[in-house]
Amino acid sequence: MVPYRYEEISHTADLALRVRGENFHDLLRHAAQGMYHLMGAGIGNNTSIDEAFTISHGSHEEILVDFLNELLFLCEAHGKVLTAFQFSEGANGLQVRAVGHTLDGIVRPIKAVTFHNLVVNQSGKDYETVITFDV
Amino acid sequence: MMNIKMSDFTRIDAFEWEISPEFRHDMRVPVRIFASEALLQDSLADKSILQAVNTSTLPGVLDAVMVMPDMHQGYGFPIGGVAATDLESGVISPGGIGYDINCGVRLLSSHIQLEEVKAWLPTLANVINQRCPSGVGVDGRLSLTKSELAKACVQGAGWAKAKGYATAEDLRHTEENGCLRGADPEKLSERALERGRSQLGTLGGGNHFIEVDLVADIFHEKAARIMGLQKGEIAVQVHTGSRGFGHQICTDYVRMLQGVVRKYGFNLPDKQLVCAPIDSAEGQAYLAAMRCGANFAFINRQLLTNYIRDAFEFTLAGKVEDWHLRQVYDLAHNIGKIEEHLIDGRKKSVCVHRKGATRAFGPGSNGIPDEYAEIGQPVLVPGSMGTASWVLVGTEQSMKRSFGSCCHGAGRVMSRSQAKRQIWGEDLLNNLESRGIEIRAGSMPGLAEEAPQAYKDVDQVVESVVGARIAEKVARLYPLVVIKG
Repeated sequence: MVPYRYEEISHTADLALRVRGENFHDLLRHAAQGMYHLMGAGIGNNTSIDEAFTISHGSHEEILVDFLNELLFLCEAHGKVLTAFQFSEGANGLQVRAVGHTLDGIVRPIKAVTFHNLVVNQSGKDYETVITFDV
Repeated sequence: MMNIKMSDFTRIDAFEWEISPEFRHDMRVPVRIFASEALLQDSLADKSILQAVNTSTLPGVLDAVMVMPDMHQGYGFPIGGVAATDLESGVISPGGIGYDINCGVRLLSSHIQLEEVKAWLPTLANVINQRCPSGVGVDGRLSLTKSELAKACVQGAGWAKAKGYATAEDLRHTEENGCLRGADPEKLSERALERGRSQLGTLGGGNHFIEVDLVADIFHEKAARIMGLQKGEIAVQVHTGSRGFGHQICTDYVRMLQGVVRKYGFNLPDKQLVCAPIDSAEGQAYLAAMRCGANFAFINRQLLTNYIRDAFEFTLAGKVEDWHLRQVYDLAHNIGKIEEHLIDGRKKSVCVHRKGATRAFGPGSNGIPDEYAEIGQPVLVPGSMGTASWVLVGTEQSMKRSFGSCCHGAGRVMSRSQAKRQIWGEDLLNNLESRGIEIRAGSMPGLAEEAPQAYKDVDQVVESVVGARIAEKVARLYPLVVIKG
């Protein structure tokens, strides 16, 4: 049972999120939602945007960081906020297909997703982790 | 998690403390903290000292990991941390420099009296705010081709001078003359170049700011005179770094080095401390890319300086006698540099990581402008919004005891979420404006996160570094206009 998707936890200088998911892909979805929430990323209009990218093979921690950093890049450089994700395993890694919207401003910038003490824990079917963001 | 207590420290003197390498089995060197007892006690509320202990496990780390009194918890290294590593047996760690490569501060002086400019401060705030792009994802006025950006990264502030954005004095009064040698754009990702193309000359968000200040107090008449600072006159500070360009460089290399750590068999207490031997291909590639980021930041602050000078001219020409701004100094507080320091009584080239710490070279040191040779390098310590900032100088003791380093600011004590819960942005704005400070801010929640209550008392931080004799006071600045992204 996953009682919450994400919650902000205290960090002196930066930002941190505790994220849970019923499986690893669910964890990725909730981490994305939490990160956009921390950023206060606004959605510009109702026009839908399709996006597809691949995250290279790696540990759960590496995939999580790569996935979130990809979203940060798409947000800052291309003004895209992705809100729904489909994941599938491909020969080169995790294939991500997403739908989203154009960005309409950010309240709080995030510079990067860090590996600081990052461990993706699995308990039964549930996944949980704490992610620290540099702001 | 290991709890650290006051009894774990050995008191060296009133402002210097040490944790012995016996404290934890994997420490290679001591952790040395420059702080008053009260600031050290406060630091135990977060993980900053534990992060310094983790840093002391890096291969080839020399002498001690130093921690400044503005320390607070970061990721990997603590903010306020200084670590020097051996060029042959040591490593370089991107996490020891940070995502905002060469985040730093610039100070400009003027001969404008407060009384001359008082009535024009609201206009000046508006014009600076209009001319200096700020906020997230906001592009600058320049859009460079990737090849021009690559050229700029190699030339640093010299590129800005060649384009007419800088004077010879600006470059002379910038750490490393505004250019780290050995930058190689071939070591950058396409993504970094894409992010950097349109971000030169932008302030960004977070704790970055432009501030118009009053020189409120002078403590070292000679040094202040040499720097062009006089009581009652106006000064300007710029705090920003390498923007998304630097963030991408660090992101790329922290990711790439995850595998390198396994390759070299390093056993690290935190994945964010990833590193590579300095003399390895991976270490050299990161150094070359990081230097591109550092040079980008020098140009960024230079372009903003140019826009601020334009704003002063536009607003004040014909209204004050001399509206020109001269550069006192520009320095980095997130950087990795190859420098020569005394190790066990012998001069040695080492790689100094400064993460939220400022270079503070003493009188007569190599690498500081001739004008400052007698007094030491200016050290710029901005306070939190609405409080004082300090101008200090490096000392002979900083060269001997802290790898020529000092504090970089006030240092946070309150998390951003707690600040937002406790402080209402509009109330803070009203409070600051009632004290005569003009505020231009991108967002009220963002303003609340940067409230003075969220930071340590910068005066206490400065008393600690002065008490530890790694810096001397020169001047205290008081804010008149604050522009935040």
